[in-house]
Amino acid sequence: MTDLGLEASLYEVRRKIYPRAVSGAFARWRWGLVFATQAVFYGTAWLEWNGRQAVLFDLAARKFYIFGIVLWPQDFIYLTVLLVVSALSLFLFTAIAGRLWCGYACPQTVYTEIFMWIERKIEGDRPARQKLDASAAGARKIALKAAKHGAWIALSLWTGFTFVGYFTPIHQLVHSVAALSVGPWEGFWIGFYSFATYGNAGWMREQVCKYMCPYARFQSAMFDTDTLIITYDAARGEPRGGRARGVDAKAKGLGDCVDCNICVQVCPTGIDIRQGLQYECIGCAACIDGCDQVMKKMSYAPGLIRYSTQNALANGWGARQILRRVVRPRVLVYSAILGAIVLAAVAALWLRSPIKMDVIRDRGGLAREVDDAHIENVYQLRIMNTDERAHRFTFAVEGSSHLAHVELLADTPEHFLEIGPVSARTVSVRVRAVPHDAEGSQPIEFELKTVDGEGPAVTLHEKSRFLIP
Amino acid sequence: MAQRWIWILWPGFVLAIPAVGIAFTLLDPEELHALGAPLAMSRLGAYSLGFLFFWALGAACSALTCLLQRSPFEVNRCPLPAAGRPEGCPKREELGCG
Repeated sequence: MTDLGLEASLYEVRRKIYPRAVSGAFARWRWGLVFATQAVFYGTAWLEWNGRQAVLFDLAARKFYIFGIVLWPQDFIYLTVLLVVSALSLFLFTAIAGRLWCGYACPQTVYTEIFMWIERKIEGDRPARQKLDASAAGARKIALKAAKHGAWIALSLWTGFTFVGYFTPIHQLVHSVAALSVGPWEGFWIGFYSFATYGNAGWMREQVCKYMCPYARFQSAMFDTDTLIITYDAARGEPRGGRARGVDAKAKGLGDCVDCNICVQVCPTGIDIRQGLQYECIGCAACIDGCDQVMKKMSYAPGLIRYSTQNALANGWGARQILRRVVRPRVLVYSAILGAIVLAAVAALWLRSPIKMDVIRDRGGLAREVDDAHIENVYQLRIMNTDERAHRFTFAVEGSSHLAHVELLADTPEHFLEIGPVSARTVSVRVRAVPHDAEGSQPIEFELKTVDGEGPAVTLHEKSRFLIP
Repeated sequence: MAQRWIWILWPGFVLAIPAVGIAFTLLDPEELHALGAPLAMSRLGAYSLGFLFFWALGAACSALTCLLQRSPFEVNRCPLPAAGRPEGCPKREELGCG
């Protein structure tokens, strides 16, 4: 082989895939999930909660609002936990039923589905699109292509706008878009996300799954012989071959596969499922819907291509035996880890104090002698009220047994402080004490208490050190 | 070639998302100083530039990987078609190169 030939084989030339429209039970499921996920995505940004946007990742203010919860940068752990939970859920679903995520809920699938629907409405189904692309440029072709791309771009811009609306209050954003006064970075990100949507769902499509998606490469690690996959029943289908309707296939020595190629034509990644499980298969079940229609026309039983497991296929199991195998060590382990993390996260979020305090020792003077007996240390108390209502606080300090006459001196009268909803204040305090038979560093503890007169009082303790020169 | 662009740009993009998330959780751009002066930009600007910076860094890393994983065979290959090579080139007579 020449090196040019090798190069060509290393870089497969992409041939454009023209998926044929398909209808059936699984296509309905996918459309149901398209509507559900997109109602959530396009809709949630507009919801109100407590007089503010219900879900807002307010980057400019460094606060994340998720309905009743307000997360500060200190709460980053919850987002990390969310990512871990998502990953583990993906592992669990994959172990049980293969690439459910890819086939029904992944944004790449969902937007490709919507974009293909637009394409089909404007350019027609597979044969019409193939004919259109093969035809010479003319007024009709240009008009159809312009209409398609116009519709795609409009939907992409709306998607990009909605995406940015989760990071910048969407009601402000809609006004600034209308007044053409969008901030430079908001504008950049609307454009970026729109371009990504348009490019991925309009042009890249199955290539994202085949060449860009890491999950497609490692999902097989979660598979075992009891995982639901989309399978072609070769024992029933082979030897494949065309036949007239009503002809006795058995007499001709043929299996049930009529070799109509519908399963290949409907495949969004352009593979032939009859060659067995391939990593390109996103588990969308379009081939099942397509094949079942043909089987019905031929008056054969459906399910020549179906969801099944390797074990079920080898042993001729039915749905009941497949279901029984769902409970197996791999699934139990994934479920146990996932359940434990979800429980811990929910409990932590539930028990989370709405008040936080950081004690920061003053960087300037470590300690100073006020008179013969007293030593003074300076601290910054940063008090954060993550609640969506104002709180009033008092604060106090306690020292170890080696410190006597510990007192707190602050500029706020009566050590009384009010902090508005979802905001923070830093107060400078001096702690004065008489050391008793000690030197070096002694533990002290600050106490912060809410005094609202309503609701249960919250008390916080925060440790620090008192330095004796 | 298109796939090589994907290999270079895409992993960097994926990694830039957690990188920028972690970096700006720990650091508030308003408290950052560059070359002794506070950053003269909005938080949104700092996050965006931070993201693009991490993306560029990740892409550079992937590009280096792409460059180094090329086999000697690929590196040695002459980009010119055989007929277009300068006179006296020892590979001029070679068939199928380029």
